[in-house]
Amino acid sequence: MHNVVIVGAGPAGLSAALAAAAAGAPVLLLDSNQRLGGQYWRNSSEPIESQKDQHFDLDTGMLLMNAVKARKEISVWNGAQIWSASHKDGVNTLRVLHQGGEKIINTANLVLCTGAYDRTLPFPGWDIPGVMTPGGVQSLIKGHGVLAGNKVVVAGSGPFLLPVAAGIIKAGGQVVELLEANKSKRWLLSPLTLLENITKLKEAFYYIKTISQGKVRARFGVAVIAAHKGVDGKLESVDVATIKRNFKVKKTRNVKCDVAAIGWGFTADTSLAGALGCKLKVARDKGVVAEADSNQQSSIPGIFVAGELTGIGGAELSMAEGVIAGISAAKFVGCKVEISRAHKKRRAKKQRFADALIRSYPVKSGWLTWLKNETTVCRCEEVSVGNLKYAIEELGATDSRTAKLFTRCGMGLCQGRVCGRSVVDLVAAELNISPTDTDRISAVNRPIISPIPLGVLAAGE
Amino acid sequence: MQSNIEFTFDGQKMLALPGQSVGAALLAANQRTLRTTRFNENERGVFCGIGICFDCLVVINGVGNQRACLIEVTAGMNVQTQVGSHA
Repeated sequence: MHNVVIVGAGPAGLSAALAAAAAGAPVLLLDSNQRLGGQYWRNSSEPIESQKDQHFDLDTGMLLMNAVKARKEISVWNGAQIWSASHKDGVNTLRVLHQGGEKIINTANLVLCTGAYDRTLPFPGWDIPGVMTPGGVQSLIKGHGVLAGNKVVVAGSGPFLLPVAAGIIKAGGQVVELLEANKSKRWLLSPLTLLENITKLKEAFYYIKTISQGKVRARFGVAVIAAHKGVDGKLESVDVATIKRNFKVKKTRNVKCDVAAIGWGFTADTSLAGALGCKLKVARDKGVVAEADSNQQSSIPGIFVAGELTGIGGAELSMAEGVIAGISAAKFVGCKVEISRAHKKRRAKKQRFADALIRSYPVKSGWLTWLKNETTVCRCEEVSVGNLKYAIEELGATDSRTAKLFTRCGMGLCQGRVCGRSVVDLVAAELNISPTDTDRISAVNRPIISPIPLGVLAAGE
Repeated sequence: MQSNIEFTFDGQKMLALPGQSVGAALLAANQRTLRTTRFNENERGVFCGIGICFDCLVVINGVGNQRACLIEVTAGMNVQTQVGSHA
């Protein structure tokens, strides 16, 4: 029997690996990190039992990670980086850098659990060292035991700001401000959805308890709209604005800090799914995700997708989807196994909660008014708002793709992972049009999954 | 407590804990600028922390464009600030 090949060892990938193995399939699990767990259960090289403080529910993570390590049917490649992927005649070819060399995997089945990363918005000063993503600040604490700074402003929108603020306080740092751009009453979800997802409520209270112990009061309808550096070139302060419901600024004050952790929810990492040719779509939050059917199969038979890749929904939904994807892949390689109704019911329940959350934390177009002409949009190629405006007004670009070609915006090393989504919104706003789904999907087109030194390729031939 | 690993940053002696990334170890030592940009020579440091943004590029043992947030410190590693594209 062929291996079920799974990419990504976070909540979705671990669940998929265990489900496929339980169904009797041999599994190859690839992950770019040195340790299992993904971003959600990111852990350091210290004994894992000592890291529970930084997690709401590391017990579940340890259960899955230990089970994956214990099962003989599952082989794990940690530190494996897929740099290129293609699909032809039913065969998926992955080119993987692992243990110093290149390995090529040809497989008819694949389970993609590639997760997500912080969504960022450009604003004046966001490229100053010290301005970071909340996920970045958290990964430094969870993965390396390092606090990025001593006085941290946590801002943006979404429930993820809570664990980040709580994690900073637990690690001994000071959260000087915790700012949610949306208004507090949006936090109220439908009572039924809350009741059936009670663990989510417990998780929120767990973080809020720590945050209140840290003497931090969350403010709502407030955002960081600019960052300033001191004479040493490092972040010194941020401009904090009370904003309207549409994110336009009402009034501003200045707050001293050495780190600003600012994020606006998440963007699915569709690089691998896109390179293989899986159909992508625009989700409710306007992020691009991979399409999945009720068995977590993508538009390509044999390629299954699960977790944040199919839409931002958190760890519990990822696990529910991962189990179904793992069973589907096992079935695809010939195992006698069926997806139970209970699995689908569990997924539906988690999906309802995820949908309610996405509705509660919108990113409104008023953020575009925070920008100045000299504000950097593309960090890699150093393209400013003014450069993009020039491409539109003087060079006649009429869509984001053309504006990109004129300016190199989104064509640097990160291949638009950071700015791509914002550029689509920015260009459309300049042109006074609404972005199409094609605009959004073409902004995530990445021929190379991860740039690698040419020497590595030469050595592999 | 695990013992420290020695490496250098722009010739200066640095310490890291086993398993720490170059970026994490440098941030712990309050070294926030890891590179300067090609065109405007702006200072940049760790931004996304998980290998997505390519802003924390440094030169490691003479090889440029290495993501400091992903690469684990090893003993004797020679890390340098990256100036421009290190072409």
